[in-house]
Amino acid sequence: MAEPSGRAFLTHEHVLAVLVIGETALFAALGSHFLSAGNAAEVARASVEIGLLALALTPVIVTGGIDLSVGSLLGLSAVVMGAAFRDHGVPIGAAALLAVAVGAAGGGLNAALIARLRLPPLIVTLGTFSLFRGLAEGLTGGIQNYSDFPERFLFLGQGRFGPLPAQVLVLAGAAVLVGLLLHRMAIGRSLRAIGYSPEGARYAGIPVGRRLLLVYLLSGVAAGLSAVIYVARLGQAKADAGTGFELTAITAVVLGGTSIFGGSGTVHGTLLGLLALALLQNGLRLSDQPAELAGILTGVLLLGAIGARSLLSERKRG
Amino acid sequence: MRRAGVGLLAVALAGIVSGCGGAPKDGLTVAMMPKNKGNPYFVSCRKGAEEAARELGVRVLWDGPTETDAAKQNEVVESWITRGVDVIAVSVENKEAISTVLRKARGRGIKVVTWDADAEEDARDFFVNQATPRGIAEALVGHTARLLGDKGEFAIITASLTAANQNDWIKHIKDVLAEKYPGLTLVEIRPSDDDRKRAFDETQTLLKVHPEVKVVMAIASPAVPGAAEAVKQSGRRDVKVTGLGLPKDAKPYLHDGVLDSVVLWNTMDLGYLTIHSAAALAKGALKPGATTLPAGRLKTVEVRGDNVLLGTPFTFTRENVDQFDF
Repeated sequence: MAEPSGRAFLTHEHVLAVLVIGETALFAALGSHFLSAGNAAEVARASVEIGLLALALTPVIVTGGIDLSVGSLLGLSAVVMGAAFRDHGVPIGAAALLAVAVGAAGGGLNAALIARLRLPPLIVTLGTFSLFRGLAEGLTGGIQNYSDFPERFLFLGQGRFGPLPAQVLVLAGAAVLVGLLLHRMAIGRSLRAIGYSPEGARYAGIPVGRRLLLVYLLSGVAAGLSAVIYVARLGQAKADAGTGFELTAITAVVLGGTSIFGGSGTVHGTLLGLLALALLQNGLRLSDQPAELAGILTGVLLLGAIGARSLLSERKRG
Repeated sequence: MRRAGVGLLAVALAGIVSGCGGAPKDGLTVAMMPKNKGNPYFVSCRKGAEEAARELGVRVLWDGPTETDAAKQNEVVESWITRGVDVIAVSVENKEAISTVLRKARGRGIKVVTWDADAEEDARDFFVNQATPRGIAEALVGHTARLLGDKGEFAIITASLTAANQNDWIKHIKDVLAEKYPGLTLVEIRPSDDDRKRAFDETQTLLKVHPEVKVVMAIASPAVPGAAEAVKQSGRRDVKVTGLGLPKDAKPYLHDGVLDSVVLWNTMDLGYLTIHSAAALAKGALKPGATTLPAGRLKTVEVRGDNVLLGTPFTFTRENVDQFDF
């Protein structure tokens, strides 16, 4: 059993890192071929779509908001892209850009309702959660399944650069960008301030509306980008693409230590949370455990990690 | 305190995981995937698969999406490739989506069979085919001829007039009629658009327009109860319904007597044959060019090209339908 070293300054990220190491050790012992470069690449490949959503949700949740519509928006972007490519003869590159544009438009709608009309994000995105999925199903009659995408496009989801799955580069780029935004720029501080107290932030002269516009717009763009990678990985676009992804992404963010009440959260925490979930899924399969355990253990992990953090902060205060 | 928390969590994790782990056995491992783990259709396939596994001493890993989900199918296959199972057997939700990973599995020396629904041909070694269109046509026309005494008129309620599967069956039904049953006349083919209510309406109209029709053949799953309900409400006890569909929908009408029979395949046998095919493939007993395969209690089954054939379809009647739960 790995013991976290040092008595002071134990952060949530440390707890998570220990958890990830623990999972790795456990599955290395139980699973077959768990510790292999090939498996590491597959874990990474399978995590990219949820990862992009989780990265974009981190600033959203840091402001005390939420975006439940990202999974549905992924589905909508995917089918628009599929329809444009197959039925309207749009070149694949342009169709992919269109998917990102649909994501941006969907995110823009959320942003306008939340930032301009000051409606609660939970209600707005619960509405667009249904709206976007409904549009995707309506567009395809629920039955269309777009496939036959060109090889060079599928490379983005199925190919490799050396040992690295192609789409991992997109995730890495997104992580750097969101990291800069949240941790290196003044905007990051203002997002945390909004999370602590929107009114206080307004009095402090922070353009709260504009900041919220930005984070929800980014969330939509991430959903669009995630749709492109999803389609490239599976070679199909269907209205049910990304069903339930929003909850997994939110789980990764919260597991990563971002407070659901806003005000705090880190990109590396989110990445660790993502990794902990992905290893759990993968490790259980490789060690021949029933897949249902993944759900149970995800719940245990989340509650355990949040409980540990709460104990941690009590201790700091005390 | 915090260390205790982390420790507790890790111990709990280890406890849950190891508590459920079985010691790996020797011998073949066949990883088998349904389209949907919860669907009773596939649950009954699994029964047959496990029966064959016990006979052959094969280890079956049964996993798949909890609802039809092509993305999940790919993830599970990926993990099977990493684990290095001997054979992967998949009921394919989406051809395009799964074929890439199945090709990858073959590239790593894993044998691949598809069952129930096929992938692209170069993505698998064999397809365990539950029913050929010709076999289905022969069974359906056979029941019709029995009901009519080899002479008389019948009509078909199909899915939609453009449905590929149904049109294929209709083509073979016409061939079988021409070859074997000159006394039977197909007077009308009506669409139901896979909708029970539409099948009901079409059947009502049909009975009025063609009073001499004595058999309605409903060849889409929702059309079977729709047609049966229409005949039942018409009070015409001289008209019978037969068709192709799921036994669950058909059950009340089979017991009522208005529905004579429904044709499908025996799902338990399908699972059973899949494991036999997978094991034979891994042991080298099933190779390209094979024309037969010994398959336990199913005796010797036919192999045509790269299709392992389950054989003649199975007929559900009021006598046997209660054994099936899908």
